[in-house]
Amino acid sequence: MAILLQLLLSGAALGMIYAVIAFGYQSTFATSGTLNFGQGEALMLGALVGLTLAGNVAGGPYLNYWLMLPPVLLFGALQGVVVERIGVRPAIQSKSEFGWIMSTIALGIIFRNVAENVWGHDDLPFPSPLPTEPLHLFGASVLPMELLVAAGAVVMMVAVELFNRRSIYGKAVVATSTDRDAAGLMGINTSLVITFSYALSSMTAAFAGVLIAPVTLTGASMGTALGLKAFAVAIIGGLNSGLGVVVGGVLLGVTEKLTGYYVSTGYQDVPGLILLLLVLSVKPSGLFGKTIIKKV
Amino acid sequence: MLKIEHLTAAYGKVSVLHGVSLSVQKGQVVTLIGSNGAGKTTTMRAISGMLKPTSGSITLEGRNITGMPSHRICRLGLAHSPEGRRVFPTQSVRDNLLLGAFTRLTFGGDRGDIDGDLDRALDLFPRLRERKDQLAGTLSGGEQQMLAMARALMLKPDVLLLDEPSMGLAPIIVEEVFQIIRRLKEQGMTMLLVEQFAAAALGVADYGYVMENGRISVEGPAAQLQNDPAVRAAYLGGGH
Repeated sequence: MAILLQLLLSGAALGMIYAVIAFGYQSTFATSGTLNFGQGEALMLGALVGLTLAGNVAGGPYLNYWLMLPPVLLFGALQGVVVERIGVRPAIQSKSEFGWIMSTIALGIIFRNVAENVWGHDDLPFPSPLPTEPLHLFGASVLPMELLVAAGAVVMMVAVELFNRRSIYGKAVVATSTDRDAAGLMGINTSLVITFSYALSSMTAAFAGVLIAPVTLTGASMGTALGLKAFAVAIIGGLNSGLGVVVGGVLLGVTEKLTGYYVSTGYQDVPGLILLLLVLSVKPSGLFGKTIIKKV
Repeated sequence: MLKIEHLTAAYGKVSVLHGVSLSVQKGQVVTLIGSNGAGKTTTMRAISGMLKPTSGSITLEGRNITGMPSHRICRLGLAHSPEGRRVFPTQSVRDNLLLGAFTRLTFGGDRGDIDGDLDRALDLFPRLRERKDQLAGTLSGGEQQMLAMARALMLKPDVLLLDEPSMGLAPIIVEEVFQIIRRLKEQGMTMLLVEQFAAAALGVADYGYVMENGRISVEGPAAQLQNDPAVRAAYLGGGH
């Protein structure tokens, strides 16, 4: 029983990370109908920049974990702007339907290669800001960092939701998502909103990176699998449903942990992908996705 | 105030406008009538920057706005209530109105009396006041049309473009919409009105243009068009 609870808790914490990355996919999809397939690499870069600032890889640590967060978030946002300007905007402007897919994948590969050259091929340990001694909850042992991961994910999503509902800029983002032409008529610079959504998307990925790094390892290849799984989560939950990515993320995180323990770690990625295939064949808009009916 | 000269525009390779010229003076209500597919909405879209014209020029208060993106044209004081209303369905009525005032609420904008304007917009459209906190997508067609107009007014525009405000509405609501247009005219609002209800449109307008196949075929003071036998036969149901 205690083992099961423990698997559920750590699965949920991992799932929240998937949710945060999936949230980034949603943010760009909403405003521009495009996705950044280099989301995993944005996460990896965020984690490595965070490690450089807060770890002892380049003569550091220069900052403690908490002070490292603002520069990492800023770095993530700038990285998103670069991806949008170089990879996505030209494709949108030339009305190329699939150009952005290739260019965001290409940029992701470039970022990974650069990271390999700067930080090396080996995985590096990320110093944990919290005690590494597990806490005991109802017989299950949970790492304090896992709780921070879940809390950080929730805080970030609530912050974005508040921004969208309360501030005029957030309302403009929502308006751009629902009707780009009409938003333009309101005086909203919708190209800038799309750039912003890419900045937000990479910023959340970078945030996810520094949250997950202390419980995993940090390295140039850390983002690829996470980015792919979060993509599955976005599809399972629905590309336009905020609740969907949380449920989808936790579902995937928990099934992975359960399969890893009760079946074999070799198979732990399989159930999630089966779920993805099931959702795509039964409800392609995702478990919580709204099918958009185009009125003519 | 608003002057369009030899405007041509196309959707892909299909050219839709073949040299349209028209002008709207300050304080005037000008209507653009014509049958379906004549190019009325395309003209409106070209003016507000939703569509890049292929040639010709559009000037707003002496300033060339041809080919400018719509968000910049909006900042110069031109509001466009588009065909099909295009309210933001997932946001509340109030949020839709605030988005209409986006340029005033954001950096570099002249905020003015936003709360007062919000109140005045809801006075002009009392049905919206009752539904202030409802999502725009849950409103009826007539209410959405009123929201689209109120939202455009929140810009405090110098020129207001109204595209088919009566489209798909019950006759009694159409009457209400035209009463509001009349009231805006009394307040001195400069308007360009596209309508299929030609008789009603010519009834409020000072000047009218008739469009046919992407060209202006007839123009003149509204009263004169109302009595023009050709216009009557084609658009006002006269002679049937």
